[in-house]
Amino acid sequence: MNKKINKPQQEISLQKLQEKVHHLTDELSAIKQQLQQGVEREKVGADVERQGAVREKLGADREKQGADREKIAEEEIHIRTKAMESTFDGIFIIDAKKPNFPIVYANTSFYNLTGYSKKEVIGQNYFLLYGLNKNSHIYEEIKRALSEGRSFHGEMLNFKKNGEKFWSLLRITLVRDKNGTVTHYVGNKTDTTLMKQRNLEIEEQREELLHVTRVGKLAEFVSSLAHEISQPLTAILSYAQAAQRMLKDREPKLQEILQYIVNDDQRAAEVIKRMRYLLKKSKPTLEALNFNIIITDTVALILPQITAKGKAVKYELDANLPLIYGDRIQLQQVVLNLISNSLEAMEDNKDSHDLIIRTSRKDSDTILVQVKDSGSGILPEHMNKLFTHFFTSKPDGLGMGLSISRSIVEAHGGHLDAVNNPDRGATFYFTLPVDKKKD
Amino acid sequence: MNIYIVDDDESVCRALKTLLMTYDFEVKTFNSAQSFFDTVTDDDPGCLLLDIHMPGLDGWETQKKIMDSGSKRSVIFISAEKQDNGLERALKLGAMGFLQKPVNGQTLVDLINVTAKINN
Repeated sequence: MNKKINKPQQEISLQKLQEKVHHLTDELSAIKQQLQQGVEREKVGADVERQGAVREKLGADREKQGADREKIAEEEIHIRTKAMESTFDGIFIIDAKKPNFPIVYANTSFYNLTGYSKKEVIGQNYFLLYGLNKNSHIYEEIKRALSEGRSFHGEMLNFKKNGEKFWSLLRITLVRDKNGTVTHYVGNKTDTTLMKQRNLEIEEQREELLHVTRVGKLAEFVSSLAHEISQPLTAILSYAQAAQRMLKDREPKLQEILQYIVNDDQRAAEVIKRMRYLLKKSKPTLEALNFNIIITDTVALILPQITAKGKAVKYELDANLPLIYGDRIQLQQVVLNLISNSLEAMEDNKDSHDLIIRTSRKDSDTILVQVKDSGSGILPEHMNKLFTHFFTSKPDGLGMGLSISRSIVEAHGGHLDAVNNPDRGATFYFTLPVDKKKD
Repeated sequence: MNIYIVDDDESVCRALKTLLMTYDFEVKTFNSAQSFFDTVTDDDPGCLLLDIHMPGLDGWETQKKIMDSGSKRSVIFISAEKQDNGLERALKLGAMGFLQKPVNGQTLVDLINVTAKINN
């Protein structure tokens, strides 16, 4: 069929075809353009969508991270709280920004240690909490340290809510914010009672050992001293008695002098005898004793001396005094010694008449015995040396009575001391532990 | 009557001697047990006043030696030291008595006289 087309016809057709191609090409371009735009639009849309997804994912991630972080923080807090709660030390936190410095946190050990409940502690001022039993010296020290921005470290005696004593090591540190302002105080309280008790026991044993050595050494010393003095006393007495016999019925003045020599020699011998008696190393006989009876028995022994000196004993004895456990002779020796001392202190004072002996129950575990005179009292410079061996303020004193008395009382688990009375004279007092088996 | 005094303290010896001489005793003093044994024989009559705490032979050992030798010597211990059960121990060792220093003259003389009576 193509063979049948005429040349002019053929020319027109070609032109038309060319036009058509152009047109089509243009159209194609347009479509292409449109298409391109569409694709691009689509692409942008997808991008937007993708970005949204990413954003969404990021958001989720962030959320997840937040949750994770929260979880970790929670765990950390949990562990730290657990740690604070499980430690044996009492830990408390004080809010330093509030004017009354309230305790805002305390761990279980703190409640256990102090005996106070959470209700009684939280919101309370630390010092008020201990207000009743406070050792002002230590608490002033704590306050000073904190107010000067220092931490505190110190050991102190504390009291539980029920009054029970306990030793504690307290450390208070300061917590500051990023500006350096103190926001909290953190206290850490360690119960050192057991440690302290152990130390005290060791100290006591050491003291006991020292005491035994001291008494042993003293006994040894006194024994050799007694021997050395007895020899010249023997000679003096013999010479004097020989002279008395030689001057028999003659020289009354000399006879009198010789008699004084004999008397004083015998007095010196008596002192030695007493000294030996005090340090007699006899095994103590321990029994349950009513101290009131010990006192009345002892006073009966020296009543003649008391009345001869124009003095009187006034009893203030606790009728319900619990029994104590000890050696009757040794304890009588202590009472005798204190009474003799008091009598001597009152000797020069005509108007001091009464010697008061008082027994009482000091606390559930202890009795207290007081011997109160109205004598000259104890000079302040003598106070420290009073119980030292061979210290005496009396012209013919041995300086042994009080030191031995203290040894005896301490061997019985008590304590002997002296104090000047506010008005006049002195009071010697000692404690003795109650016999728990008989009480 | 003879009295022998054994005491390491010179002054005690001299003083006791002076005192006992006023009672008309014959007194000889010695500063150690050894010098007593060296001088006085078992046959020499007399009472021995014996100190306990002495260098060399002490009083107890001296008394034991006297007894072991079969001597009948009367012995009175005189001690400056406090001896627990001193009298009991002295009597057990065959002595006549035990006195604590410083000893009263009359007490000592009474004991010496009793001793002499027993021995006679």
